Amino acid sequence: MNATERLLPADFAALAPFVEFWAADTAAARAHCRDISDEAGRAAFYNAAVDLVPQALAWLDARPLNGWDESEQRLMKLVLSFAHVALAVELHREEEPQHARNRPYMRITRAPADCER
Amino acid sequence: MSAQHQYQMSETEEALALGTGPLPAGPYYRDDYFALECEAIFKRTWLNIGHGCELPEPGSFIVRQFDFANASILITRDNDGNLGAFHNVCTHRGTQLTQEACGKRASFTCPYHGWTFNSNGDLRGAPDLERFYVEKKELGLNRVSVAVCAGLIFVNLDPSPRQSLREYLGVLGEQLETQPVASATTYSEYVYEIDGNWKITYDNFQENYHLRFIHARSGGGGAVGPENQFGYPEKYGFHGEHRTQKIWTNPAPQLSATQKLAFGKLVPALMQRGMMNAAHARDYYALFPNFFLIGTPTQHFTHYVMPISARKSRGVIRIYWVGDDMNASERFGREFSMAMARDVHAEDRAVIEAGQRGLNSGALKHIHLQSQEVLLRHLMHHVDAKVKAYQAELAAGGAQQ
Repeated sequence: MNATERLLPADFAALAPFVEFWAADTAAARAHCRDISDEAGRAAFYNAAVDLVPQALAWLDARPLNGWDESEQRLMKLVLSFAHVALAVELHREEEPQHARNRPYMRITRAPADCER
Repeated sequence: MSAQHQYQMSETEEALALGTGPLPAGPYYRDDYFALECEAIFKRTWLNIGHGCELPEPGSFIVRQFDFANASILITRDNDGNLGAFHNVCTHRGTQLTQEACGKRASFTCPYHGWTFNSNGDLRGAPDLERFYVEKKELGLNRVSVAVCAGLIFVNLDPSPRQSLREYLGVLGEQLETQPVASATTYSEYVYEIDGNWKITYDNFQENYHLRFIHARSGGGGAVGPENQFGYPEKYGFHGEHRTQKIWTNPAPQLSATQKLAFGKLVPALMQRGMMNAAHARDYYALFPNFFLIGTPTQHFTHYVMPISARKSRGVIRIYWVGDDMNASERFGREFSMAMARDVHAEDRAVIEAGQRGLNSGALKHIHLQSQEVLLRHLMHHVDAKVKAYQAELAAGGAQQ
């Protein structure tokens, strides 16, 4: 098993380059990742993940939430960050930098994913 | 827009009494009017501050700030499971008992001289208490009123409110009990501060006139459509001081790939929990003075706007959920639902502040409202009625100090 396979479940090794930046622990941190990302970074993550997210959810759904190993927990965090970045790429597009200026004022204080980590 | 979405003025006496004339602009930024609102409304009205799921067991507590009253309120669940609400103020010399926002403890000890209070507010003991010139039983924490409807906790700073919460909510109380929030066990939350009068802030969420301009992208194509380009509601309702909308939804929304995926992931879990057939799923409740709830199961949010000053407020938005995340798909759907709602509300906040800055100049003496902004008119009507009634009380010398 190489380092990449240990970082994420083997079927999702293509997402390994995005773990360091996008696999954040909390919803607020994931929203912040989106806020400070640049267009190229968002596009790269989105394009790599968009077809893998349904498979990743199916993989994780097949295992109990409290039984995930560290690689599966990282995969969940990446998928949750995808929820944020997809809004930028699919909806706001070229207006994302302008939209990002307003979002930090809406301070995320709680999310179910944070409570049950 | 098809005829069915044209707003028809309600024929209720209350709606007809609202009139059509412009509203004075001053109450939306003036300090003197705000001071009257605090006394006439916010210090004597039931205000939502949270949900019972935040106090899951005896000893659980939360603290809420009421800036408009310079008050910190401690809400507890006692050993019998009952909620209590008290000023977070030691009855010795006024020191705040706790600086924590929430937690669990059987008692609260004042850091100044060690007075200790039970979670039901009674003074348990104080060092050298026999040297005081007052009975221990008279030294319990100062109570405010607290009650629950649909799991939602409401506080009234008046310890002897003129109406119970149920009387205050009327028929809407029964409807709220049918909403998912009544059985919520957890929630997503985001909060904001805004340089905006509480009514200017709240009013933004009472009209759909702005949707196509401010939320052209973030709205996701569900709230407006070719046959209803402004997304006007199907129906308005007036219920005393409260009001409702039956929201219109686009039957053929242009959803993005991830919107389809995320909401598609939420629905199976919601169906399994029996949450997709709510009778009031498209109802949008506006409870006087500062609270909203929308019945939509996939984005079942509440929102309250708490005043800080005449031109500053704090908003708390929660999306309530029933049950812990069932699986990864539900967790993903919930995260997306919150992120999408937050995107929309971030746009609202920015434009509300711009509106407040304009009004603060005094350039406008009046505000003109169209028929589809009737809910704004209804709120202002009841605010002003409360303010005038309070002024009459003062004039008669009967106002409570």
